[in-house]
Amino acid sequence: MKQNRLWAWLIVALSAIYFFIPLLATFIFSLRMRRGELSFDAYASVFSDPRFFASFGYSLAIGAFTIILGILVVVPAVYYVRLRMPWLRPFMEFVTLLPLVIPALVLVYGYIRLYNSSSLIPFTGSVLGTDILLVCACMTLALPYMYRAVDTGMRTIDIATLTEAAQILGASQWTIISRIVFPNILVAVLSGAFLTLAIVIGEFTIASLLNRPAFGPYLVNIGTNRAYEPSALAIISLLVTWGAMGMIQLLTRFAPKTARKD
Amino acid sequence: MLNKTHRLLSLTTAAVVASTSVAFAEPSAELIEAAKAEGQLTVIALPHTWCGYGEVIAGFKEKYPEITINELNPDAGSADELEAVRANKDNKGPQAPDVLDVGLAFGPQAKEEGLLQPYKVSTWDEIPAEAKDAEGYWYGDYYGVLAFGINKDVVTGANPASWADLLKPDYANQVALAGDPRTANNAILSVYAAGLSTGADAAGAADAGLEFFKKLNDAGNFVPVDAEAAPIAQGTTPIAVNWDYNLLSQRDGMNGNPPLEIVVPSDGVVAGVYIQAISAYAPHPNAAKLWMEYLYSDEGQLGWLAGYCHPIRFNAMSDAGKIPQELLAKLPDAANYAKAIFPSIEEQNAAKQTITTKWDTVVGSDVQ
Amino acid sequence: MSSNSASAADASAGPEVSGPASQLRRRFRLGFEWLSVVPFVVFALMFLAAPTLSLVAQAFTDPAGNFTFDNFRGLGSDQIVRAYTISIQVSAASALFGALIGLLIALALIRGRMPQGVRATVMTFSGVASNFAGVPLAFAFIATLGRLGLVTILLREVFGFDLYRTGFTLFSFWGLTLTYLYFQIPLMVVIITPAVDGLKREWSEAAQTLGASKWDFWRYVGLPILWPSFLGTLSLLFANAFGAIATAWALTGSNLNIVTVLLYNQIRGDALQNPGLGAALAIGMVVITSIANIIYLVVAKRAERWMK
Repeated sequence: MKQNRLWAWLIVALSAIYFFIPLLATFIFSLRMRRGELSFDAYASVFSDPRFFASFGYSLAIGAFTIILGILVVVPAVYYVRLRMPWLRPFMEFVTLLPLVIPALVLVYGYIRLYNSSSLIPFTGSVLGTDILLVCACMTLALPYMYRAVDTGMRTIDIATLTEAAQILGASQWTIISRIVFPNILVAVLSGAFLTLAIVIGEFTIASLLNRPAFGPYLVNIGTNRAYEPSALAIISLLVTWGAMGMIQLLTRFAPKTARKD
Repeated sequence: MLNKTHRLLSLTTAAVVASTSVAFAEPSAELIEAAKAEGQLTVIALPHTWCGYGEVIAGFKEKYPEITINELNPDAGSADELEAVRANKDNKGPQAPDVLDVGLAFGPQAKEEGLLQPYKVSTWDEIPAEAKDAEGYWYGDYYGVLAFGINKDVVTGANPASWADLLKPDYANQVALAGDPRTANNAILSVYAAGLSTGADAAGAADAGLEFFKKLNDAGNFVPVDAEAAPIAQGTTPIAVNWDYNLLSQRDGMNGNPPLEIVVPSDGVVAGVYIQAISAYAPHPNAAKLWMEYLYSDEGQLGWLAGYCHPIRFNAMSDAGKIPQELLAKLPDAANYAKAIFPSIEEQNAAKQTITTKWDTVVGSDVQ
Repeated sequence: MSSNSASAADASAGPEVSGPASQLRRRFRLGFEWLSVVPFVVFALMFLAAPTLSLVAQAFTDPAGNFTFDNFRGLGSDQIVRAYTISIQVSAASALFGALIGLLIALALIRGRMPQGVRATVMTFSGVASNFAGVPLAFAFIATLGRLGLVTILLREVFGFDLYRTGFTLFSFWGLTLTYLYFQIPLMVVIITPAVDGLKREWSEAAQTLGASKWDFWRYVGLPILWPSFLGTLSLLFANAFGAIATAWALTGSNLNIVTVLLYNQIRGDALQNPGLGAALAIGMVVITSIANIIYLVVAKRAERWMK
């Protein structure tokens, strides 16, 4: 047993070193803006740049809309497929696997070709249209994770019984979904939401090819033109992502733990 | 041939040459109204540190606050700009650029493809004939010479003084171009300049340049990373080949951390002219024309000068005494410009054709 | 219980109420159900199926607009073949090492009986690190292994070893693989931990009482059970690395000759000067990642048997 734990600790320690050192190096590099001494100048420079707040705010907004769209598209579909149309399930699984197969780069290439202003649905013909396209594209990226989160959530709470009980008590379909099912899967949905947020904030490919002022292109732009600010931004980015992931971990502790029936 | 307005202006400015206020030819009132009605101008590939564009754009915004400036993709190369016009031919949205700032060789190509619309600014006559299209489809805006920017924290020994020096083993893993030679004008001309330095004539310089970079790559001296400010400072590309104005503004930006020295190569000094043009499919053509008027006014031209670029009207303006002394003092050494070669359009075109198509096969920066 | 039988009938019809009102409600409910799935289907069509098909169409079109196989033949050009080769190699290497190391970590966490605190921290961090891919990761590795990076300087000052004199750069095969591992390993940890969790302790205890050694247990029970998940996740990691562009772009700009950078250049600046070829390049990418994921699908189906 002792030997077991020894090699376990060794592996974890070695990996910790591999993962920690780049973060430490980034942090130290970000402190070196002033020659010869350590200072937070790079961070001050980042926080005094209006484009930082503009692009971060823009990405947050896109993230929020992506999450809302995701909930609206995924939750009803998963609910009804589980409940009434289980034959549709393989189709849904296949669809949610597609974003992992088709790289984001290829997808956005397709969008630019298909939805430019000379086509039937001119998304890129206006700022609002391009923003909508960006939200939909981000949703496509987040789809596998959102689906898995909602699906797991529904699996845990046995929606069949809940629905039936509610129907017997005379609830309408809409009431069932919004006031019974949704609150119970809220934790799962929020996990999916935070993951979506992390994805959207870091997204570069789609935003840059659609020329939207998101956080990803901003990071790359700073990365080419400034020497120390990129490291500061990397640390900030890390803290934000950690915050989002930490929230997920926190939330899963509050997940309803009904016994599985299937 | 100076027209009456300019003669009048030059008389008044001659008396105030040291002051910072400059008079300029006013664009017509109809143009201003039409531009304001359009309300927006979409520009592309204008980094704020390139030729002082940050200040130039700010100046335009201050003059015409009703016109918002939509800045696309500051890191785009000349080919990226043309592609953006092509891709947005029918698009009147914010993706479509109104105005372009591309390398000289890209002008005739764009005109041939029908991507441009002609416009002659009010100071048209002061632009040298070699640097503009006679019909007004494109027109030179500024120029500089290619130089090496050297990060002294990494290159602690002697600086390379010439293209030939770059091949020395001291500079292993250190030399980089400031762009992709398949799409960026400055990278293409860097290859051309390297070719000229080996003694080739104008016709053979492109191939000679490719050979030079092949040798550089094989010797392990070439780094396949765009040598922008960050990679230079981080030591990834300690020797950057770029326009002198870019290197000078990067040096200012780094503020000694790390110290950057700029060296113009002794063999093969190439000057490159960039050109302005209005997209044929511009969603805001009047705003575009107003922008051009602004850029070619004294105010615009001096804005570029403050960014270490030589504006295209430099000779005419200095003859008229419109250039403040302190700006002149900050410029790079005039001796460099005396022996600079200004490749003609045909030479640049041929070079561009060769270099963009053959770079991958001849040099091909692969992952090792 | 009557509720159970009722729920069985529920699966296709509705609660047992008779009369014309129930029929109306049934039809309405059917309509409502379909309505709820429609957004999903429309979304899938508009944003997954249609763009891909449009690219397939363009891949078969030449600049004049006629049907042609030329674009796919153009994929055989030296530069493109090299790009695909390098992409496949880096993806395979980072996937293989990522999977192995990730598995080791998951095993260490669970079989090594790490305290709950350590496990939670590792899982959270894995979630963070697998999303760290892209621009911040590139910056981090430049700050670590770049010319003036912390580790580079450390190696030089403390150990007298000049990393860069050996010709190492971050944009070499090993440099890229090392960088990609930073998000591949955590992804593996996140996905394989539930599978390792499923290796019930009772099984290894039972094996022990039957006289099997630790090695026997792993060889006959543990690894065969984990093998489908492992192989499946390996495919996933491969596709993940193959489609990655942000990291490479932030590291080197446009100069690296890998497929994603090539495609990005083509979209942005028509670097290949042939849109049909760009579309063919994109479709080629999809074919390769599809093969990897078909393996994942087939193998994951088999893995499910063990998880019941």
